[in-house]
Formats: sequence, structure tokens, C-alpha cells
Amino acid sequence: MIADSELPTARGGIALSTGATAALIALLTGAVCIALTPLVPWLVKFPDAWALPAAEWIGISLTWFLDLIKPAMRVFSALMAYPMDSANTLFTGMPWPLMIGFVTALGWYIGGLPMAALGLVGLGFVLATGYWLEGMATLALVAVSVPLALFMGAAIGILANEFPRFKSAIQTVLDVMQTVPTFAYLTPLLFLFGFGPVVGLIASAIYAAPPMARNMILGLERVESDIKEAAVMSGGTRLQQLFLIEIPSAKTQIMVGVNQCLMAALSMVIIAAVIGGFKDIGWEVLLTMRKAYFGPSLMAGMVIVIFAMIIDRYSSKLASDRIRHSLRVAVAIAMIGVIVAVASWQSLPDPSAITLLDPVSDWLDAGLTGFLRENGAGLDGLKNGAMFYGLLPLKIGLDGAVLPFTWGFQWTGGMSTALYATAAAAGLALALRGKATLGIVLVIVVGIIETGLAELPWPFVLVGAGAIGWVSGGRKLATFAVVMLALVLFSGLWERALLSLYMSGAAVFTCAIVGGGIGLLCAVSPLAWRFVLPICDMLQTIPLFVFLIPVLMFFQIGEFSAFLAICLYAIVPMIRYTRHGLINTPEEMIEAAVSSGATEWQTMVEVRAPYAAPTILLGLNQTILYAFAMLVIAALIGTTGLGQSIYGALAQADVGLGIASGAAMAILALVADRLVQGFAEERRQALGL
Amino acid sequence: MTSQTGSGEPAISCRNVWQVFGPNAKTKLADALAKAGGDSDAAARDLRDQGLIPAVQDATFDVHPGELFVIMGLSGSGKSTIVRCISQLLQATGGEILIEGENLVDASKARLIELRRRKLGMVFQHFGLFPHMTVTENVAFPLKMQGQGKAERMKRALEVIDLVGLKGREDSFPREMSGGQRQRVGIARSLAVNPDIWFLDEPFSALDPLIRRQLQDEFINIQATLKKSIVFITHDIAEALKIADRIAIMRDGKIVQIGTPTEIVLKPVDDYVREFSKDVVKGRHAKVASVMKPAEGVNSSGPGLRQDMTLEAALASCISHYDPVPVLCGEGHVVGVVDPADLAAALQAEET
Repeated sequence: MIADSELPTARGGIALSTGATAALIALLTGAVCIALTPLVPWLVKFPDAWALPAAEWIGISLTWFLDLIKPAMRVFSALMAYPMDSANTLFTGMPWPLMIGFVTALGWYIGGLPMAALGLVGLGFVLATGYWLEGMATLALVAVSVPLALFMGAAIGILANEFPRFKSAIQTVLDVMQTVPTFAYLTPLLFLFGFGPVVGLIASAIYAAPPMARNMILGLERVESDIKEAAVMSGGTRLQQLFLIEIPSAKTQIMVGVNQCLMAALSMVIIAAVIGGFKDIGWEVLLTMRKAYFGPSLMAGMVIVIFAMIIDRYSSKLASDRIRHSLRVAVAIAMIGVIVAVASWQSLPDPSAITLLDPVSDWLDAGLTGFLRENGAGLDGLKNGAMFYGLLPLKIGLDGAVLPFTWGFQWTGGMSTALYATAAAAGLALALRGKATLGIVLVIVVGIIETGLAELPWPFVLVGAGAIGWVSGGRKLATFAVVMLALVLFSGLWERALLSLYMSGAAVFTCAIVGGGIGLLCAVSPLAWRFVLPICDMLQTIPLFVFLIPVLMFFQIGEFSAFLAICLYAIVPMIRYTRHGLINTPEEMIEAAVSSGATEWQTMVEVRAPYAAPTILLGLNQTILYAFAMLVIAALIGTTGLGQSIYGALAQADVGLGIASGAAMAILALVADRLVQGFAEERRQALGL
Repeated sequence: MTSQTGSGEPAISCRNVWQVFGPNAKTKLADALAKAGGDSDAAARDLRDQGLIPAVQDATFDVHPGELFVIMGLSGSGKSTIVRCISQLLQATGGEILIEGENLVDASKARLIELRRRKLGMVFQHFGLFPHMTVTENVAFPLKMQGQGKAERMKRALEVIDLVGLKGREDSFPREMSGGQRQRVGIARSLAVNPDIWFLDEPFSALDPLIRRQLQDEFINIQATLKKSIVFITHDIAEALKIADRIAIMRDGKIVQIGTPTEIVLKPVDDYVREFSKDVVKGRHAKVASVMKPAEGVNSSGPGLRQDMTLEAALASCISHYDPVPVLCGEGHVVGVVDPADLAAALQAEET
């Protein structure tokens, strides 16, 4: 990363570029820390006595505050129970032919045959699994939380637009809200509202409002100034301008917000199932997963995926298409549903009793057991290999992970010295060839691998983050990174933060390599993209929770499963952005390269890749944020670190620990986000974009 | 389109209008003016040094009733800003803007809305059509703001749509139309409330040359019957010379010259203005009247020059004459003489 920003003025090893200077400072800090470790152990491990009991303080003050507003909130909760109960009665009580008829009719109206078919087949599948009632309970929660979220989001967006003074503040809050992990919302809400579905409802409304607000702001911003001025000159009042002209003009963007809001609400409703109290589909997944009934668990997961797909495709169709299909056909379809419902009023089978797919589920279970029995050794080998030769050294370093038991020999001090000497020689060679930054970074990377991410000396982490910040965004960003990380350091959550950093770092690194490779492949071969695109679409539609099912099936609980789940989820943006960046090089630049006699590969390396760098960096940024989001969910199946603290806090209703860990997680995500954005911005400016 | 020197109140009157962008523009402008002792150039320099942007500097001019006043300049010269000051889309930082004697700078929000609903119309460079409304709904929108009933405003909308030649496209959406057609909708919408004052901000700049000329001709015809008081913004000197009664030329926020097309072409005040008119065929824009001398007892026989002929045409018809040639007015009386040498000299004036 540092090598990217090497200034063209760097000449050999004498005049050091900003990047080289920053890297050198970080290197020296690390070296000093390692050298002094035997003398001053607190350089590596931050003494507990120095940490402030942030979790306790937050807990005490927050509990006091929450206690203060609790009565009002309980009243609110009691009020919310009415719409929620009615929605629940409506959705679960409605005869299923009626529901399927309505959804299919709606599909026809907004998207013709494909959408109608999606609705019919999808809900048909849900019915066949026997999870109809649980599914409807989930939908009922979404149906209540989404209007709340839409209203809040739209109101926030409009306020930000009308009072530009608050806009940047509001946008910062929205940023933070989207980086705070989902579980962290739940603990204080649990405290306020008590156990029950209201918590899920509120959490999902809060979680789903920011995307709506963002798109509202963006949409209103992007209304052409000529259109806004024409509305003024027509003599409209401000309200008339806003509601008759600006909002309708921004409709497309706002509908994108509605789509994202719906997906976020669904995702959160399912996550909120971990607190239980509502017989919905997320709870069903969790229950079956805990009992290791993978067949039913997969079925329930499929139900969630189908809901997500129907909601996503319907609402994005609504956003992109202006054409509506025949209302008459839609009404006819709905009428068929009504007629079937009325005709079979008494004889409708109870949807829970439908077991059409139970054989499939049993067969899946049996098949899986058989598969595991036969390939168990291979899977274990894969898992252990990745653990012992990849994850573990990254976590605790070569000095800790290389043992006779796994590697066949014991790591010794001599080996460390030899490794460092080799790295230093290679680094020096690079420096002498004019690549000082690269050389220093090489030595640093070797040092990190030898030490292990989770055992890095804290001064080195702070200085390193500051150095990266300095290179990517100047003094201001460096200060931001150091201060934010220092907050985590003093909060007493440092060790857990390093563990989280290791897990997400490993996943992000893997995603960057694999995802970047797939993105490159897709950029070169449209055929590959035809296969990868639907998979990417699928992976992005699936709520986070469902990713846990397949990895659990094959690899049981543990860090490797968590790692895989994070990778599965976080790889998508890397693929998409890499391909997008590489594909969208201006035609003229490629023509210029070709007419200069460049081969296809040369065009890729010399022209497309540099031009795509800012876009690819943005993809990396998204991947990092996705990884952090998933990290918390993955705590359910075996990660240590902050995610586990957040989840644990939820179980113990420990508001302080929950919020402090959530904040620490958000800080890590924010710092990573700003650092990468800084590099992307620097590249964009260098390219004059 | 004769120049109207018109007596009585001007339709629009700008008095020392400033538009300064930047923090605390108002106080900083007042300070700078006080310090410079009324020297606007010094004040503008001072503001620039402080990092502010004086987009319009001390603009003063009148637009007479029924006059077509063109403001012309390169991009960034402040011409679009000044029309936004007059229409109050921007609040001027300093100075007075009077519309039929009423100072808009002091006007309340409600009064501005009232004025926009009754008196002012505006056409935008990129049309500013509402994408979610049909042609008719777009055109009828200002009438809806007035509070007119649906039947009434549809009737009026159809009238204006007919006027701009879009009959038959009433139910189309903007996205289904070409650029030229979209701007016709924009023009129709701005005329729907029958405003007295009409702002056009580079209305034809986004159109291709053929369509542009066609719309210019139609615009001239519409104005010939409607006689609005117009502020027309353009960066195209040929367009300005073709349609204007008077032209104001702007540079870096400052009006450098105001004059009739002939004056701009024949008597540019500085190199900047001269540069603009360099590529213009002068003979096509300057009139005989501009080089005419008083008649001293000449008879009316001659090649029959008229005072509203262009120099080019005049020179062609008296190419064989060496003595002063009489010039006739519309009714055929002698109003002055022209020396063919002066005609030739006027055409050459810019070359020196």
C-alpha cells in the first residue's frame, strides 16, 4: 500500500519519499519494541492496569440514561405491539392461496411474467418446506419496520437537504451507524424494551433507516439545478418545490434507497432472531443449526434467501422500470387466489403440516452425513492445513505457530535471526535499486509474520497506522488514526481488537487476492462474468446469517468456518469493483495503447490497471467494511475478539461491554475505511479524475 | 426590432449590483468598498486577494419596456450569475434591483413568489423540464402554482404549446423529445403565465447549429408579437447581434460595454470587445445610419440608400459613386448623406 504512493521524486536511498520515511519510522518503532521486549514487557502487552474501565463507565452512564427513558420506551413498545400484532395476525392468519395470489399479482404488475413466476414459485417453495408460518411472522416484522425506517430515513434525508449546515454532521452519523455492528444495536435495545419481537422491530427500523436517508440526500442533491430553479421561477413555495418537483425528480435514486432499506430490514430482522421470543424463520435457522439438523437448517435458510430475492427483485424492478404491466391481468391473478382461498376455506391444509420437502431435507441430511463420513479426512486436512500453515502463524506468529507437532520442527531464535537477516538483505537490495519504500515494507511484513498480528507491540500498531494515515491523507488523517486507535487501546479492549484485526485482516487479504483474480478473469473473459455475475448477485442478496449454514455443515464450529463465512460474504465487492474498474477504461486510452503496439496483456498492465486503481481500492474498502460486518455475525460460530464480546454482552445484557465493543469495532472499521479512501482519493487526484 | 429608448420607468433597473461568493461576503464587500473609496476595480481586487469571488462587479444598467437586452460574455464572466440576481434565484450581495420600480432586494419571500407567479418567466440552458410530467403538465405547472383550476390551465397550456409549435406532442414526456423540442417546452412553460419580464439563460446554447438558428428565428417572431421586456444571456456574438436591441458585454464580472449591435461592432471600447467582433462580418450588422452625415441640400436622386440598410448592402449599391450619396428614411425623404469612402472605412475600421 505504501509502495503505491511512492513519489516520482524518490531517488535511490538518499532522498526518501514520504512513503519511505513513514515506512522507515514504523520499521524502527517495531524494531525497538522487539529489541526492548525482554527489558520492558509492557511495550508488547499493554498493561491492564493502564487501561481505563471504559466498558464499566459506559455501562454505568448508559444504564443511568437508559433507565431514565425506559418508562417512555416501554410505553412506546406497548404501542408498537398493536401494529405488530395486527401485522402478525394478518400475515400468518391469511389463507396461503390468498397471499400467493397477491404476491404473484403484484409481481405481474411491476415486472410481468418473470416477476410473477418468481413470486409464485418462490412462495410455493416456502409453502412446501412447511416453514410458511415462521416465514410470514418474519415478513410481518419487516412489514411494520420498513415503513418506520422509510419514514425516518426520508425525514432525515430531507432535513439534511433543507439545512445544509447539518448535512455533514448527519452524514457522519449515518457513516458511523452503518459501521456499528448489527449485534451492538441489540444490547441497549434489549435493555430498553425487554425480550420480545419489539426489539427486533426497532433494531431493524434503526438499521434500515440510514440507507434510505443516504439515497434521499444523494437523490435530492443530484436533481439538476435547472430543474430546481425552474420550480422556483414557477412561483412554487418551498414545500411545493420539494414535494411536487424535487422528490419526484429524484424518484429513481429514492427507489434505490427503498430497495436497500428493505434488504437491510430483512437482514436485521433475521439477525435479531438470536434474542428469540418470536417464532420466526431466523429463530428456526438458529435452532436447527444449534442442533446440527443441517437439512432443515438449509431449508429454512432457503426460505430466507427466497424472501430476500423476491423483495430485492421486486423493489429494484420498481426502481429501474417505468413500464407497468396490465393491471387487469394482475387483478385476475389476485382473483384466482381469492377464489381458491374461498373455495377451499374449510379444507385448506394447515401450512405447518405440509411436509412435501421433508424427504428432500432428510435426503440432504443423510447425503451430508455420508459425504462427511467419506471426505471427512480431506475436509479436516483442508481445515487443519489452513489453520496451521495460514491462520495460526498470522495470528501468533511463526515463532509461536511453528511446532514439531505441526510443522515438524521447533522455531528457534536462530531461525528468527536468519529470517530477519534475509529480509533485511532483500530489502536493502530493493532500496539500492531505487525501491526504498518497497524494501522497507518487505521487512515490516516479514516482521509481522514472524511476530503474529495478535501479538504485535502496541506502539508499533499506533505508529504504523499513523504512518499509513500520513501517506494516504496527510497529517489530519494520521492524527485521526492514532487518536482513534489510542481510544481502543485505553478502553481495555486492545487484545480483542487485535484478534478481530487478525481475523478480518486474514479474510480481507484472501478476498483481495482471490476476488481480485476473479475480477481480472471476468474483465478478460465475458464468458466467466456470465457465470460469476449471478453468483455475486445471489451472495449480495442473502442475509448475512445464512452464510453460516453451509460453512457449518462442512467445517463445524471454529475459526476456519468463521473465516470462510467472512470471505464468502466479503469477496463480492472486490470482484465487482475490480472488473468494473478494468472494464471501464475509456475507449480512447485503449485505442491509443493498441495503436502504440501494446499487446492485450500490456494494455491490461500498463493502461487498464493503473486507471482502475482508484476503483479497485474502493472495492477493497467495501470488502473491509463487509468483513467487519460479517465478523460479528461469525462470532456465533467461533471467532474470538470483539465480535465475541458483543455477542457475549448480548447474552448477559451487559450494556457497557456491548456498546464499548461495538464502538471499538466501529472504530477499527472507520480507521480502515478512511485509510483506504485516502489512498483511493490520492490515486484519483493523480489521475485527474 | 427597433431600439426603444422609451421614456418613463425602465422595466428592469440594476444599480451597482454586486454578487460576491465566499464567507461573510456582505460585510467584506462593504469593507472593501469603504476602503477603496468607491473604486469598484480596487474593491474587487481587494476581495479577490481575500479569497472571495466577485462574480458580478458593480453592474448598472436599465432594460426598457419591450426591449431585448442581451448580456454576453465568455463562460465564467458572470453573465449567468447576473440574471440569477435579477430573478432572485441568488440574493445579490450589494446594490439595488428594481423591477418596474419595486426594489426586489427588500422584497419578502411571499412577494417574490407572487412576482414569479404573475410577472416573471425564465428559460434555462438545460431546459429544466420536470422529468415526471408530460409536456402539458410541465407547461401548466406555473399556472397550477397560481392556483388556477385544471380546465382553465389546460386551456392556456394548449394555447402556448401551439404558439411554440408543439401541437400533437402534448402528452409526451421530456425524455421522449429532442433537445430542440425540449427547449420549446421550456419556452412555452415560461410564457404560460404571460409574464411581462422574460429571462432567457443561454436558451439555445445546448442545441445543434441548425436547430439553434430555427429557434432563434421563431423566438424573434414570438417577441415581435409579444413585446416582452427581455434579459437574454448568450456567449455567441452572432446570436447576440442577430436578436439584440442592446448588448452588454461582460468580462470577469464587470460590464465593459453596453451598446446597440452597431456600436459594439463599429466602436468596441477595448481589445476584449474587439476580439469578440473580429470574426463578425461587420457589414452585415452595422446600419447605414451609423455612418450617415447631416444632409446639406442634396436632391433625392441616387442609388436609393435607406438608413436601415446594412453597410454591406449599401456599399454594394453605391460602389460606383465617389460623391456623398443621399440616404432616405422609410417614407422616402432625405435624412442625410453617406460618403462611400466612409462606408468602406467603417468596414475596415477594425483592421487597424
